[in-house]
Amino acid sequence: MDLSVFVQLLLPGLTTGCVYALVALGFVLCANVSGVVNFAQGEYVMLGGVVAAFASSQGIALPLAVGLAVLVGGCLGALQERLTLAPVRHAPDFIQITITLGVAVVLRGVALIAFGKDPLSMPGFSGDGVFEIGGAVVALQSLWVWGATALMLAGMFWFLMFTDPGRAVRACSINLQAARLMGVDAERLTLFVFVVAGATAALAGVVVTPIVLANWDAGIAYGLKGFVGAILGSFRSPLVAVLGGLGIGVLESFAAGYVSSGYKDAMVYGVLLAYLLIRGGVFVFGRAALLAR
Amino acid sequence: MKNAAALASFCILVVLYPWIIRGTYPLGVGIITGALAAGTVGFVLLLGYAHQLALGQAGFCMVGGYASALLCVNHKWDPLAALLVGAAAAMAIAWLVATPILKLRGFVLAMASLALHLILVVVAFETPFTGGALGTYGIPKFGLFGLHLASDLAYYYVVWTIVLAFVGIGLAVDRSRIGRALKAIAASETAALSTGMDIRRYKVQMFVLSAGMASVCGSLAVHYLRAMDPNVFGFAFSLNFITAVIVGGLMTVWGGVVGAALITGLRELLRGLSLPLWEGVIMGALTVIVLIAFRRGFAGFLSLLYDRLFGRQETPRVALVEPDVSALRPIANAATLEVRGAARSFGNLRAVNGVSFTVAAGSVTALIGPNGAGKTTLFNLVCGYQPLDAGEVTLDARRIETLLPNQIAALGVGRTFQNLQLFDNMNVLDNVICGGHRHLWGESTGREKARAALAFVGLQGAASLMPGELAFGHQRLVEIARALALEPRLLLMDEPASGLNDSETERLAELTLRIAALGITVLLVEHDMRLVMGLADHVVVMHHGEKIADGAPDAIRRDRAVIEAYLGIEEHAAA
Repeated sequence: MDLSVFVQLLLPGLTTGCVYALVALGFVLCANVSGVVNFAQGEYVMLGGVVAAFASSQGIALPLAVGLAVLVGGCLGALQERLTLAPVRHAPDFIQITITLGVAVVLRGVALIAFGKDPLSMPGFSGDGVFEIGGAVVALQSLWVWGATALMLAGMFWFLMFTDPGRAVRACSINLQAARLMGVDAERLTLFVFVVAGATAALAGVVVTPIVLANWDAGIAYGLKGFVGAILGSFRSPLVAVLGGLGIGVLESFAAGYVSSGYKDAMVYGVLLAYLLIRGGVFVFGRAALLAR
Repeated sequence: MKNAAALASFCILVVLYPWIIRGTYPLGVGIITGALAAGTVGFVLLLGYAHQLALGQAGFCMVGGYASALLCVNHKWDPLAALLVGAAAAMAIAWLVATPILKLRGFVLAMASLALHLILVVVAFETPFTGGALGTYGIPKFGLFGLHLASDLAYYYVVWTIVLAFVGIGLAVDRSRIGRALKAIAASETAALSTGMDIRRYKVQMFVLSAGMASVCGSLAVHYLRAMDPNVFGFAFSLNFITAVIVGGLMTVWGGVVGAALITGLRELLRGLSLPLWEGVIMGALTVIVLIAFRRGFAGFLSLLYDRLFGRQETPRVALVEPDVSALRPIANAATLEVRGAARSFGNLRAVNGVSFTVAAGSVTALIGPNGAGKTTLFNLVCGYQPLDAGEVTLDARRIETLLPNQIAALGVGRTFQNLQLFDNMNVLDNVICGGHRHLWGESTGREKARAALAFVGLQGAASLMPGELAFGHQRLVEIARALALEPRLLLMDEPASGLNDSETERLAELTLRIAALGITVLLVEHDMRLVMGLADHVVVMHHGEKIADGAPDAIRRDRAVIEAYLGIEEHAAA
């Protein structure tokens, strides 16, 4: 196997993997605090991308465009939580989850109407140059993606480990009910994680746009691939979710490079399906299944 | 009654539509609506009954669409045969995917079905035999038994006849024990397990059924479109399913039909107004608004309207009456329960630590102990709600410690819950009918048995009330009646007296003795010493997860260890 080809596939894989990792993290945070799997998670990535690309195409300075996209992501996260989830907090789970799907469809639809069918492009933050590493040629923008992701992950780690609301989030992931009984203000915390998840997903969407373009219908793929990461961490472990997301990005890139680019999505989703079938079927028997649920 | 009204309106509308609104375009819309309705009827069973969201339902439409397209074009198959083969394939795939995946929690099936759909799309694009991105053309018109349906009008009626058949299947499911079980599962999975219902099995069945109907939807659509390519049934089509079912109404299969009509109408309207881009926003917004504001959807609204117009009278409230002690017949096969070395830890806490005891057939055995003694954990180990770390549990010498709660219930082990677990979405009689789930009784037998169980506890007058309309003590009795309808050989009661006042407790004691008189073995977990001492033949005492005494009530009353556990050493010495 040629090492330079390997690196050439690995690094771009890590770049898209960063996006999936942040989506997966958003899934895990929202699910732990609110008990809801937010199917709109991937749409925030898409929105961040199209908003920033559109803003910069209108001549708005880059930092402002980025800030605007993140602001949009955070505000929409807050709106989603307040308008569509808070009123149905006590409804059955499947109702709440279906509502998040409806929100995802609205967000896609709005992006389509507002920004049109065509993919939007955006110049790299430090130009559209490339750099060479280990025989592979990588877009300069990848450095921004990695840096932004590392920064967000570090921030999230600090938040979860060393702040009171962060500890509350972790408590919720261990036992939601007990955490609420201990005085965790679930209402405020839920709003907070939706804002954070929306904003981080939007930022991920912005930094990756110079490499992959921003398109109104990209949200499903981001959501589904991030979901794979979240599932790997059983919707509990943020760390496994992040690693899972990165892994999916790399797997996708290898599948495209070594097998066929047409089949890359099928392979990633195939891995998801196979994983689920194995987790559900092959090693879980009898009463132990009760605990796994 | 309501179904008859719905059926009549359905038939009139379907038959007259092509004659009122003439033209090839409206007729085409009618056919497409019908094809969609065939799929959405199944989707109601999945989302509304089994509470499972599937984001990739259009994947099964693809299976049907390609089966019809490829078999009819390349192999000159009869369209009906191709349709059936497609449906069978879709159902087989659904079964293979759902059986393991529905063991997992967290709406995994939703994403798994989306993944499956997207894989199918990629395969359809990439493989040559599907025709790739260009697709397959020249699909013949539909035919029945070699007879080609040349006119679209004939095809329209065929499509809607199939829809009617699917509605019939849906209504039959609704009325069957499976439908009742799904409602019970929706209300309380814990209680559903206690009546022997296999939750996963029914959810898998609904997924499989809905997949078959979605496949038929795909087949019917391509025989009208006459072409099939990977984009015909995309993600947007899955969303159509979801929106249709939610706007139409989740609570009845009629909602699927109404929703299909509304969604197709809306789409054609937007197309007419040249606003096709708005489809997504409007569909999504409708989904969200209906789910928040009126969860029963348009069919639910119609049903409400019907009740308003032809309203039924209020059922009179009936208080507790004298129980009919002869309503249930004695049993001859009471079970013996044996627990040997049962252990269960939570982290460092040994909740149950090597406990052994026997509940003799036909006896009333009480399991007592101070708060935190491990009684409820032990109870859950016996019923299968938690796995054992060590030890064994046998029912008539048969090992049951690895069985699931519903499997244990199916062996004739009934239970009640400390915190009431009634199905609050159905009336008292239906609650009790659910208790007999394991027997595969027909509807009338089940009803009869349930009425007998209600009479036995003295609640025959409350049959048509909702559980929430009853006093707390009476709700307890409903739960006991439900457990009795299971015709148990062993009845486990978890703190049945908690929350009851003195006279209710007394009545409960009488009822327990009557149950024992039927020959049923009873295991009681209780706090109330007076109740226990008056009732039990045999008492097992637990403290800090271990058994400290085991014997007849009189002996237990004098046992030093028991007195110490309950009163503490010093207090005892002072007394």
